[in-house]
Amino acid sequence: MRLLASLALQNLGRRRARSFLLIAAVAIGSGVVFTGATLMRSIDDSMAVGFTRLGADMMVAPEGALTNITAALLTVEPTDLVLDADVLAKARLASIARAAPQKIVRVEHSGIGSHHELVDLIGIDPARDFTIQPWLREKLNRELRAGDVILGVGRDAPLGSQLLIFGKSHVVYGKLGRTGVGTHERGIFMSFATLDALAASMPQRPAVLAPGKVSGFLVELAPGATALQARFAILSAVRGVKVVTGESSLSGIRQGLAALLKGILALMMLMFASMAVMVSVLFSAIVTERRGELGMLKAIGARRSQIVGMMVVEAVIATGVGGVLGVTLGILVMRFYERSLVYYLENIGVPFVWLDLPRTVAFAAAAIGLAAAIGALGAFYPAWRASRRDAYDLVRGEG
Amino acid sequence: MLACRQVSKSYRTERGLVTAVAGIDLDVPAGRFTAIIGRSGSGKSTLMAMIGGLSRPSAGSVTVDGTDIWGLSDNALAAFRNEKVGYVFQFASLLPTLRLIDNVALPAMLGRGQGASGTYARAAGLLERLGLGAYLDAYPAEISAGEQRRVAIARALINDPSILLADEPTSDLDEQTEIEIMDVLRAVNREVGTTLVLVTHNLALAGQAQQIVHIANGALVA
Repeated sequence: MRLLASLALQNLGRRRARSFLLIAAVAIGSGVVFTGATLMRSIDDSMAVGFTRLGADMMVAPEGALTNITAALLTVEPTDLVLDADVLAKARLASIARAAPQKIVRVEHSGIGSHHELVDLIGIDPARDFTIQPWLREKLNRELRAGDVILGVGRDAPLGSQLLIFGKSHVVYGKLGRTGVGTHERGIFMSFATLDALAASMPQRPAVLAPGKVSGFLVELAPGATALQARFAILSAVRGVKVVTGESSLSGIRQGLAALLKGILALMMLMFASMAVMVSVLFSAIVTERRGELGMLKAIGARRSQIVGMMVVEAVIATGVGGVLGVTLGILVMRFYERSLVYYLENIGVPFVWLDLPRTVAFAAAAIGLAAAIGALGAFYPAWRASRRDAYDLVRGEG
Repeated sequence: MLACRQVSKSYRTERGLVTAVAGIDLDVPAGRFTAIIGRSGSGKSTLMAMIGGLSRPSAGSVTVDGTDIWGLSDNALAAFRNEKVGYVFQFASLLPTLRLIDNVALPAMLGRGQGASGTYARAAGLLERLGLGAYLDAYPAEISAGEQRRVAIARALINDPSILLADEPTSDLDEQTEIEIMDVLRAVNREVGTTLVLVTHNLALAGQAQQIVHIANGALVA
């Protein structure tokens, strides 16, 4: 084995330009695959966070309620009008993937902020909410429970500190990041139970705090459903509601981006396959060029396995080195990417979640392993064919 | 004892079947110096390749010490080429990236159960015997064609073969080098008792052999 590895290394050194080009081609290919796979996985993870932050596709509110349409539908507006909490569940609409009910009460003299400050108290069902909790920037290391509140980014209080609302003590459970939505920035979020418990302390009991009532719903469409289909389905099944859609078709973006990532993955696989074919063609040519040498080796007693082994080891060394260089190149590219685009994205508030270290290492090892495997597979067939030929035919340059 | 029985070799070409060797019977007793002569294209190198286990006959058999070499498995045939036969080609057949001593040691390293230190000591001894002791670490490109041929002979002898096959080993060498190479080959035959089969179209060289086999158009000439 040492002899074969030594011969393989010497053969690579003998044709330096060709070896360099082969290693460079494999380095570029495996670098693209490693970088692409790592970035795709990171983008996928980031999308999981980002999409949940994009909010709902549509809002269902009482018919007469005023609504504030923003790019991201994150909350319904405070209103005196209410809906039954089970109105959408009863309708059983296939176009709705999930619906998060919210209760919003705008109060004065609550003890928060200045004396006359209007404060939005927003009740959520933690188990069904998908528009508020993804924005949690920091929180206590436990589940949200009764008596806990979450503060919008515009309010400042340490985590775990006490906050008096209408004279009742609450614990600051978490803080949201900057959402760009007014009601969120200075809002106080809590579970339905916590909000309902405040009703008795308020000068007037708001209608929405009656049992089984909500201010409205934030709705996410089912995969494949369009906003128009869902809108008609809701309006025909539920009376006394209005359906508000956001400015952008988030479900379309979601579905489109997922398809795009799959397309990129397919392109990378094709690129790797073409690299395998290229290596195979190259080694086919190398074997043809070295028929005389292989024939001589057979003539002095080399076994078929030794002939094949030498060629495969040579290919594995070249493509393996290419793989290592490709991964190194990929790491440099990602460092550059981190310092430019990711930095920019973070600055404008778009989250980018890098793949964790163990998975990155696994991707790097897989890229190097695949590169080496391509070399082995690419060289194996031409070497195996040559090894079957008579030594004399090889020496004479035939076969 | 080396014996060929009705050995034939045909090639399929675009112009049809071409017969290079047609039904040759040949016996070469152990230790004998045999020359195979004939014009270019007469089939002598093809016959030599079949004897040496390098080219499978289309028909017939080649036996060495009673063993039909073409009935052996791939690995057994490789071992036969490695241990029983030493082959000197008509061209420079050294690996250019290996030092002379590595080239000579290579067949022993490819074989089984031979230690590197003993092999290299033996390779150095052979090179010294052939007058190349000062060039152990040199590369093939650094020595002359005649010296390269002597290295090829040393490589052929590294495993103490019972048969030494030399296919026109002096065809591209000057007269003085040709004499030196032939002296080496005859010495191996005479001193060690190695069977020597020499393919040549040079009748003067063939005249030194104990047995001359004349081939024309792939067949023995009586």
